[in-house]
Formats: sequence, C-alpha cells, structure tokens
Amino acid sequence: MSGITENTKTSGEPSKENPSPNSSDTPDDEKKDDRMFECNICLDTAKDAVVSMCGHLFCWPCLHQWLETRPNRQVCPVCKASISKEKVVPLYGRGSTKQEDPREKVPPRPAGQRTEPEPGSAFPGFGFADNGFHMSFGIGAFPFGFFTSTFNFGEARPTPAARGTQQHMEEQFLSKIFLWMAILFVAWLLLA
Amino acid sequence: MAQNINPSVQSQSGTIKQNDDSKKISSDSHAVTKRLHKELMSLMMSPDKSISAFPDGENLFSWIGTIMGPKDSVYETLKFRLSLQFSSSYPYTAPVVKFITPCFHPNVDTKGNICLDILKDKWSALYDVRTILLSIQALLGVPNVDSPLNTIAAEKWQKQDEYKKHVLEMFKEESN
Repeated sequence: MSGITENTKTSGEPSKENPSPNSSDTPDDEKKDDRMFECNICLDTAKDAVVSMCGHLFCWPCLHQWLETRPNRQVCPVCKASISKEKVVPLYGRGSTKQEDPREKVPPRPAGQRTEPEPGSAFPGFGFADNGFHMSFGIGAFPFGFFTSTFNFGEARPTPAARGTQQHMEEQFLSKIFLWMAILFVAWLLLA
Repeated sequence: MAQNINPSVQSQSGTIKQNDDSKKISSDSHAVTKRLHKELMSLMMSPDKSISAFPDGENLFSWIGTIMGPKDSVYETLKFRLSLQFSSSYPYTAPVVKFITPCFHPNVDTKGNICLDILKDKWSALYDVRTILLSIQALLGVPNVDSPLNTIAAEKWQKQDEYKKHVLEMFKEESN
C-alpha cells in the first residue's frame, strides 16, 4: 500500500500541469490526505468506515465480505492480526449521518459502544432506591468462627493507639458500642 | 441507530427495496471493475519498469503481466509474460496467475502453474496486481526448493551454472 502511494505521488508530480510556484497545500496535498482515508480493500475512500483493533481502516461492507469469505481464518488484510466483526470500531465523522439507504449496508455496521462516565462521589452502598433490595441468608458455625478469629497466625495485630490520643478515644468509643451491642444481642436471645 | 435515519429516506425505502437484489449483484461486479481500474491507473503511473500489466483486450477481468528477471539472478535480462484471471469475488479471492512464457523454476510446473503461498492460503484483499508480480519476481530469485513443483529444477538449483544454461536454453527455444 505504501509503495503504491509513493509511486503515484512521485510520478504524479511531474505531470501536474499547474506551474504555480507555491502550491504545496493544493490538489496534491489534498489528494494525499484523501489517500489516508482509503479503504484497504476497495482502495476507494472508505464508506461506512470501521477501524480494526490493529488500527486499519476499511469500508464496513468490504471488511464484512472479507470476513465472510474466510470464516475460519479471520485476519486483518493489512497486518494479519486476528480480527472479528464484534471488535471493530465504527467511525462517525461530522457529516456521516448520510442520506443514503441504510439497508445498503447489510448487515448493519456494528454500533459504537458507549460507556457512561463514572458516577463520581456517589456512595455505592445502601442502594435501596436504584439497585433494589439485597438480602442474604447464611448458616454459621459459631465455635469455628471463634477459632478462625482467635488462631490468626498471619501478621501481628496492630498495636493499640497510645493513651490520650484522638485515635485512642475513638477506639475506646467503638469498643464500648460493640460491647453494648453484644450484650443487647445476648439479652434478646435469652428473652426471646 | 434509529435517530440517525433520515425520515425522507424512510419514505422512499419501499421503492428502493424492489430493486435491491438486482442492484446488489451489479454493484458487486462494479466494485471489482472499479478496483481493477484503480490498479491499472496506479500501475501505469508507476516508475518501476521491471514489472507491467495491462488488461488483455476488452475484458478487464483478464490481464497480461510482464516481469523482468530479478537482478543478480540466473533470470536476469529475461522477460516473462504471465496471465492473470480475476474472478468476480476479487479482491476477496486471489486471481489465477500462470506463466505464459515457459519458466524453468522449482516452484513453477511445466504448464506455468505457480506455487506461491500468497496466491493460495496467504492471500489478502490488500494484495494487488503490482504486489503479486513483485512477489513472483522475488520468487524467481529466491525459490523455495523444499516444496518443488518442478523437482528437476529444484535438484539443479544447487549447481547454478548448469541451472542457468538450462534456463537460457528453455527461454531461447520459446523465443524461436
């Protein structure tokens, strides 16, 4: 492909019948720009353009037919990378909402995949409103839980925070809450 | 997708549908013709004088190509003519390429058939007349002796002097 481009370019220049001295960004350059968007199969400007994962441009009908012709060996015609119909990206230029019959492009060109941006700061839990209600059932074996939490040979537990610091206060507070919760729970178990 | 469809097109779609099938077939062969035209143009513009190709008469699906033997090979200075037959599925399938000029070569049989991977399973829609002819030209200089179509040529390839004599004799016979 590159060879062809070079050849036509070099031989095209002498035959140009436009002797204006500084015509560097006129027809020739435009032609070169057009060539960049030529389909690698029909060698024409790509229509309903798609790009493979390896970055090569094709008309969708051309690429589709190429993949249909050899269903068991789906490779990119340019670099022979493995490609598939699902993994091509359509190119939507500004003027691409065309007036032509979309059924000409049988089968339809795969649509672009659009993922919503990340929801930012919203807290993902407690999603009763949008995610529905989650409920889980479990059967626990109480004494084994005791073992697992007690015989913890991995890393040593972090040392308690020094007395008087902010962290120490918080830890004391938390442990008191949990203690009261445990007592309430046991009381409830006994009463019920 | 639906929002991209122009309503005015939708209203015409009924009439378009009727000619759809006939249109598709004619546009297929039209696409092949268009591509072959493009290739012809770029070949004619090409400064490379060692290969050339042109349609054989009116039929754009049948071409005659010529390649010069590669430099520094036993085929140097020799000119070979080949036929290229394109099907309506070109460029999705390779054209059938044969030597018209008899060619003594390990990968070319006595009928001119060529054993070259890019014309068989390694074909790609990107290849065109120019790259095919360049590949065959390269094959002349660097034969694949391990899977020969012409075993005599493959054996003789080791003795280059003898091989060259054979090539020249065969070529002379043809031109007389």
